[in-house]
Amino acid sequence: MQKIQERCVNRDAVPVKIGALFLCILVLAITLKGIAQAPTVRFIDADGKIIAEIPAHHQGEQVYLPIDAVKQVIDPRATHQYNHPRKRLTLKTKGRQIRLQMGKSAISIEPDGQTLTLATPPITIAQQPMLPVNFFIQLLPMLNNVEVIYNSNLNRLQIRPKRTWTPAETNNTQNWAIIVDPGHGGPDHGGASSTGRLEKNIVLTLAKQLQERIKQQGIQVHLTRETDTQKTHFERIQIAKQNQGQLFLSLHCNASFSPHEKGIRIYLNNPKGRIRFPNTTKPALIGQQLKVLAQVNFLKQSQDFAQALQTELNFLTETPIQIIDIPLIALSETYMPAVVLELGYLSNFEDLEKLSNAEYTASVVEAITRALQRYISFINQQTSPTAPEE
Amino acid sequence: MKHNNSAGFSRLLVIWGITLVVVAICLGGTLLLIERSKLTAIPVAPPPLPTAANPSDTPPPPQEVNLFLLDATTLTLVPIKIERRLHTNDLTKRLNQVVTALIQETPPNFRNTIPRGTELHEVYIDNQQTAYLDFSSHLTDGHIGGTTAEFLTVTAILKTIFDAFPDHIKQVQILIDGEEIKTIAGHLNLSQPLRLTQ
Repeated sequence: MQKIQERCVNRDAVPVKIGALFLCILVLAITLKGIAQAPTVRFIDADGKIIAEIPAHHQGEQVYLPIDAVKQVIDPRATHQYNHPRKRLTLKTKGRQIRLQMGKSAISIEPDGQTLTLATPPITIAQQPMLPVNFFIQLLPMLNNVEVIYNSNLNRLQIRPKRTWTPAETNNTQNWAIIVDPGHGGPDHGGASSTGRLEKNIVLTLAKQLQERIKQQGIQVHLTRETDTQKTHFERIQIAKQNQGQLFLSLHCNASFSPHEKGIRIYLNNPKGRIRFPNTTKPALIGQQLKVLAQVNFLKQSQDFAQALQTELNFLTETPIQIIDIPLIALSETYMPAVVLELGYLSNFEDLEKLSNAEYTASVVEAITRALQRYISFINQQTSPTAPEE
Repeated sequence: MKHNNSAGFSRLLVIWGITLVVVAICLGGTLLLIERSKLTAIPVAPPPLPTAANPSDTPPPPQEVNLFLLDATTLTLVPIKIERRLHTNDLTKRLNQVVTALIQETPPNFRNTIPRGTELHEVYIDNQQTAYLDFSSHLTDGHIGGTTAEFLTVTAILKTIFDAFPDHIKQVQILIDGEEIKTIAGHLNLSQPLRLTQ
């Protein structure tokens, strides 16, 4: 009788063991997934190179970094003292003492006697003091004379040399006329998303925001269309010529046959790109070919501007942005440096959500404006009489 | 009573375990089938034989042709082998057959980059080895737009033709309803014959 009972118990134990095994696998999978997705904050420089990648802790919507991040990002010779009972942290860096109290937003900086209120207070996690990302965003510009841009979606923090447009540069930029070309318009709505959002409207809205932002930098900017009207390529180019444009930026939204394709793309008009025109053409097209070749004379400057856009916009994207050379009709008779910027794929749900997000489009406008500044500075340096000869 | 509860719980665990195993096997099997389908050439029934002018003419043997289609996973154009009985003597007819096959084929896991419903009216090859492909206006009207999509449409056509006729066709010009066009969807310049940069 006892043996029968033991057998019953053993028979019952087998499925319990199987169940337990599955549970273990499930728990292990969840743990591994958690480890694989352990968040980090990536600090990058103005050119997009990684300065440091630091493991971070997420609490709610806030991101916290260990004290070690100060050494890696602000000052390798920085030291710190932490008073556990009082939960006070003192950081010594660059001849300054920064005093923080865990759970309090106010910090003091000696010997300057400055006080600063952090957007998020520092906290302790596992009895260790942790600094919010805002600490770096707010403190770095004060300590290192840099500007900091934070991409909260990608946990990416860019540190760039602080530079403002000096009056001299502003004078130079007064000569610059940027042509922003919102693609399509009127009955030509361009691409359309499955939710009914039209390319022509998305690019016009962004173009107007960009116009406003570029004007604030003291740079002239003209749109090829201000309303929902159809313009031919010829009309757009005429507007660029009439306004003595020196740079042509055509804004579009992309589409692909796969809903998985996503991201920003930059296109250059190059008749010898991935798809190319033959070297010789039939006589009827000689005139047109000459025009195409004339546009190609601006290819180097177009590449410079495309690279400036790529550097600035890479900050907003998970994967590096591609620059693609192909013969483009929109830029074929544009006799100035010119680029087509495809802001995202209307055929991709993620991109569509981004393009519907005002915060994201504002960051795109900022990135394009920075790219313009970068490009103009580069060209001004090259044309400056004091520029070193190559 | 306790024993009954324990037995019920164990039964539940067994059912749960078996369900998980079955789901895992089904998932694995599906993935295996998907992978296999990518590797296998698409079995396509050869089209009706070309009408023989002379009843004594033997039908041409089936030939392998690569059609360039968009791999939905890798997002690249990949060659997919199909079999066709191509006209042996007439280059223009062979070109027509290959481009028509490119328009029609959409195997699982691949995307055709030519809008469904597009027709090929005619093809012509000049003495400069330029192939002129005259499509119906649905190629432009039915196109989804976007530089990437337009680039994929044109590249798929060019790659398929240059792969099938490496010695006979050097460049391709796309026409719509017999007319030269500047572009399909407003981005790529198609005003001249096109080649591919290797």
